[in-house]
Amino acid sequence: MSKTSTTSVTTVAFFPLGLLFGFVLSRAGATTYDYYAGLFLFSDLQLLWVIAAGAATGAVGIALLKKVQAKTLLSGEAIEFAGKPYKRDLIPGALLLGMGWGLAGACPGTLLAMLGEGKGNGLFTLFGVMLGTWLYGVMRANTQNSSQGVVAPD
Amino acid sequence: MAELIIWSGWQGGIGVGLVVVAMFWLTGKALGASSAYGEACGVLGQTFYRSGSFAGPKWRLFFAAGIVGGGLIAAWTSTGTWALSWDMGTLYSSVLPASPTLRALVLTSGGVMIGFGARAAGGCQSGHAITGMALLNPPSILAGGLFFVGGIVAVQSLFAWVG
Repeated sequence: MSKTSTTSVTTVAFFPLGLLFGFVLSRAGATTYDYYAGLFLFSDLQLLWVIAAGAATGAVGIALLKKVQAKTLLSGEAIEFAGKPYKRDLIPGALLLGMGWGLAGACPGTLLAMLGEGKGNGLFTLFGVMLGTWLYGVMRANTQNSSQGVVAPD
Repeated sequence: MAELIIWSGWQGGIGVGLVVVAMFWLTGKALGASSAYGEACGVLGQTFYRSGSFAGPKWRLFFAAGIVGGGLIAAWTSTGTWALSWDMGTLYSSVLPASPTLRALVLTSGGVMIGFGARAAGGCQSGHAITGMALLNPPSILAGGLFFVGGIVAVQSLFAWVG
């Protein structure tokens, strides 16, 4: 198999993974507006359990994959379990994202599943997320132009 | 609007965690969602999102399209029929403006904060809070905690101010 076709098969494989992710997010209640308000008002902790059990299950699975030194099933390469690095804007960025999360009752992943379910209000949120992502790109591109260093997006 | 089937929180969490593990095992990539919006901006002409980790195949867009499809399947396999809905549930409906224009403005503003904030933080609830905490990655644990602080401040203020 040529390098190109391997890459395209690998790329297309993300679609069924997305289907699974969207489906479980919906079943987990992560696409239901009331659970977001309930989480931040401490009146219904459904989504706290989702995040906690999700992280715990992920931690166990990752430990098992590390133990057997699993290779990726699609490319046969060793899996790098590298965490995202700390960055300068992490603290204000995370606070801003959190406020948007509460205000719009959605996060970047669940918003997409909400749109699939037919939640029309998600279209306004989607427009906003695209705009915010774009603005960050504009801001960073300007910073790069005015300084010597080239900063890669993340 | 379909009446969604909803599992208990821990069952849903196990499902989400298994997808994180499946993603690593199949593709070697850390599961995340917000970078797909960067990739989309790159395709639409924002060249900032064409270099570094955004260079190469547009796998994030395939993943994002899958998530939309997953939501569609979840609604189809629930009770009732799929329909476009403008309902935001009891709690948000009680505090957000009733005027469709003002409500759209609030949701768009929330979206801008989500999009800008996610890129500034380098990830969102999927990449930092779930995948990052599963990796026991300190910056992600910090980000996950701050997402909650931001959400609590926004929603508590909203309900104190309006409700």
